[in-house]
Amino acid sequence: MATATVLGAESPDRWRYLNNILNRKGPYTDEAFTPGDEPKAFLADAKILVIGAGGLGCEILKNLALSGFKDIHVIDMDTIDISNLNRQFLFREADVGKSKAEVAAAFVMKRVRGVTITPFNCAIQDKDDEYYKQFKIVVCGLDSVEARRWMNATLINLVDDETLIPLIDGGTEGFKGQARVILPTISSCYECSLDMHTPRAAVPLCTLASIPRQPAHCIEWASVIQWPKEKGDLKLDTDDPEHITWLFTKALERAKEFNIPGVTYSMTQGVVKNIIPAIASTNAIVAASCCNEALKIATTAAPYLDNYMMYTGNESIYTYTFTHEKKENCPVCGNLPQNLEVNPEWTLEGLMERLQERPETTLRKPSLRTSSKSLYLQAPKQLEEQTRPNLEKKLKELMETGDELSISDPGMPFNLRFIITMSE
Amino acid sequence: MHINCLWTTWPTLSRIYSYSMSIPGAPTAKEKKYDRQLRLWGAAGQEALENAHILLVNATAAGTETLKNLVLPGIGRFTIIDDAVVKDEDLGTNFFLDDNSIGLSRAQKTCELLCELNPDVQGDHIKDNITNFIHTNPEKLKTFTTVIITGDVPISTLLSLDNLLYTLDIPLFVLKCVGFTMTCRLALSEHAIVETHPDSTVDLRLLKPFPELVALYEEKAAIMDDKEKMSEHDHGHIPYVVILLKALDDWRSTHGGNIPSNYREKNEFKSFLRGKMWNADEENFEEAIAAVLPYFNPPSIASTTKEIFEDKKCTQLTATSSNFWIIARAIKNFAYDDNEGILPLPGALPDMKAESKDYIRLQNVYKAKARADLASVMEIVRVLLSGLGRDPNSISESDVETFCKHAGFARLTRVRSLNEEYEHNPKVKTVSNELSDPTSLMHYYLGIRAYEMFISEESNSKHTPPGIDDSTAENDAEQLDQYVTVILDKLNIAHSPELLEGTSKAVREIVRVGGGELHNISSLAGGLVAQEIIKVITKQYIPMNNTVIFDGISSRSQVYEL
Repeated sequence: MATATVLGAESPDRWRYLNNILNRKGPYTDEAFTPGDEPKAFLADAKILVIGAGGLGCEILKNLALSGFKDIHVIDMDTIDISNLNRQFLFREADVGKSKAEVAAAFVMKRVRGVTITPFNCAIQDKDDEYYKQFKIVVCGLDSVEARRWMNATLINLVDDETLIPLIDGGTEGFKGQARVILPTISSCYECSLDMHTPRAAVPLCTLASIPRQPAHCIEWASVIQWPKEKGDLKLDTDDPEHITWLFTKALERAKEFNIPGVTYSMTQGVVKNIIPAIASTNAIVAASCCNEALKIATTAAPYLDNYMMYTGNESIYTYTFTHEKKENCPVCGNLPQNLEVNPEWTLEGLMERLQERPETTLRKPSLRTSSKSLYLQAPKQLEEQTRPNLEKKLKELMETGDELSISDPGMPFNLRFIITMSE
Repeated sequence: MHINCLWTTWPTLSRIYSYSMSIPGAPTAKEKKYDRQLRLWGAAGQEALENAHILLVNATAAGTETLKNLVLPGIGRFTIIDDAVVKDEDLGTNFFLDDNSIGLSRAQKTCELLCELNPDVQGDHIKDNITNFIHTNPEKLKTFTTVIITGDVPISTLLSLDNLLYTLDIPLFVLKCVGFTMTCRLALSEHAIVETHPDSTVDLRLLKPFPELVALYEEKAAIMDDKEKMSEHDHGHIPYVVILLKALDDWRSTHGGNIPSNYREKNEFKSFLRGKMWNADEENFEEAIAAVLPYFNPPSIASTTKEIFEDKKCTQLTATSSNFWIIARAIKNFAYDDNEGILPLPGALPDMKAESKDYIRLQNVYKAKARADLASVMEIVRVLLSGLGRDPNSISESDVETFCKHAGFARLTRVRSLNEEYEHNPKVKTVSNELSDPTSLMHYYLGIRAYEMFISEESNSKHTPPGIDDSTAENDAEQLDQYVTVILDKLNIAHSPELLEGTSKAVREIVRVGGGELHNISSLAGGLVAQEIIKVITKQYIPMNNTVIFDGISSRSQVYEL
């Protein structure tokens, strides 16, 4: 590659317009901004991390490379699927089945000379605090609430005298999306706004089992009730077309039995995979907004977003930019525990079930402690056995009003804290 | 692919048969690739995209990003017209150019790299500039479905292009991206949308039930409050539509035949409903109570639909009227001549607590009524077509059905031409109302208009943008300030330096970047504009009318009708 070294020496014209922004103060630029080499050096040296190499991630990698960032990492555990190609523009049909992070990184590095992108084909949970500490900014383009919560909590846990890593988060659904800037412990965090996401209303089991009315009821019956009944321990793989076809056939039979019209293969897929419509243009808008904020934060060439922009495109173009308020009792970034009223007659197990139903908890394998004793611990095995009898006990035997209850869960890199009030 | 694998791994004949031959509705390769967008605009929307041919004038970063977002979802064809040669600074903003492109045609290189994104899309390029092209090849413009113009184009060319396209009914998007600022203007003489995608099309006709619905509820009504004749289980499974119709009947009998009309009465009615519950956990009654506010409205026709009905194109059909107008007229005739001013029933029924068979029966009652209304409208369509000397079967029933379902939500938009805004009929008030607000994005609009004047100046034959040199940037900014006052004077808007403080800042932000693009803003613009183009081409969802301004500093946007 003899020519590469020659071309690698970029002409000073290449970044002319970006340089104009960095060499000149604007009317809205902060007083502290020193035009010239300082912001350029920061851009060149700052390590920036991209979470997700999907619809948003592809856009984010391209945008950061063309914003002058030179050292980018990207993490994504997914492989490329045919249904990604309508928007994830760094991938081609021949790439189906390969790692998203690796293909995306290679493509952008080939196109934009001078940028280094280091891909990781793994889960975000596989990386430790030391890894995350090296970054100046993290940009998230994820489709999962759980991964976002984990990343948010991890960056907030890292905050100390020397470390404060801004998290820029984007999300889309159809013609709608949002971009936001989270300054850990300073501005509202992802957890603070969790109640803005209303979970999909669950259909009661008895409707699925005995009185279906909608095609979706027949599909959920097939996946929730019939699959375990007929397939036993075989795990349902929603990416396996044979499994989807099985569900579709079952759902169709059930729909016929109840005269319910409208079950289709596409709907079956949509219901069991919880498919969210996704298009290139919305991803472009949200990812670009996120990266515009990254550039402003990295260079201070202009004030950054404080702290939330919502976009809706169904009817005309509408954006709403506002400051989402920090929650004082946020379990992740707040200082105060939340209040929790419990019935003294509930068992500990009953309390755990109720907590699992709350949208802000979504626990998988919770361990519970008060400040004075361990109520129930999932691991190690010995302690689990020791604390297991507590599950049957009533709460009034285990705690009293004013106790602080602390809950940890492998799904959350933080503890939920509650002040208990026993109801009368 | 999967079929092959099934032949080898599933040995029994019945399995091979059931999986490989007869999966009804299993997705085709195309449906798999476009699955996530088909869930938004459906097969009809996709077909419209695939039949479209987009012209991009100047392959700037914003223009190229716009095309990227159209090539990916499978636009049929695009053409780029641009006489520029790729320069190093293009590579700093445009992702669809690489080191090998330098010194070559920008139209050609961006076209090549865009085509890599989707083998279904055909891309062409023309090495020319638009000013020259519209003089030499104006008739060629007719071949395009939509035109996007970006880059530093003189105002005279913009206005000529607008003139040509507006009369041809071809949508024109004028896109400007300078530094942190973007503006986009749509000009489109007429745009009719049937599928606006409202949150819900449900119309339960509770206050004006049709005979089949009345018959169904009367069957249940007789025993509904009778614990002897109805089990607790059955009572807890009466569909809420039936509960509401019965309760309304009872209410009328004690309220002089009137229905609960205001907020207070509706609340009283809710308590009345609550009193009819047999126990506290009857979900169907809770659903009925929740349905009072959204569904207790007498049938009426929305002003946006009336606008369509009253339009000349609807009242005076001609032999060349489009299908939209013929169907609109048929629905109007149906509503006013045959149906007491009520639109055809959309036929949708929301889910509600009920036994399967009762729900399906109720659903069928609504569907049958919707089908009957459709048949009446269809008949009127045929008569209208015959009267115009056209084939009475030339409009498909599915088109009429879609319109009937959305009749209450259809939209007709006439988006003003650029010539009206710049020359004949400017929106003076829209501009002047905003000036006193220093945070208004109107200041950026004026800044961009001044920028256009700067590059259009006769003495600036190369259309050099303001701010290219550090040493002359402030001079250029003052020149733009001057142009702003020229624009305001022409609009007869009084101004003062205090009033123009926001504009002066916008001007300096625009000059700061030296006429170039910042990739993020261009990428965002490419997303916004592609989204609007998709809406216009698919004739689904509602496009903006007519100018959007985005400021990347405050991360805000605003739409103005200018």
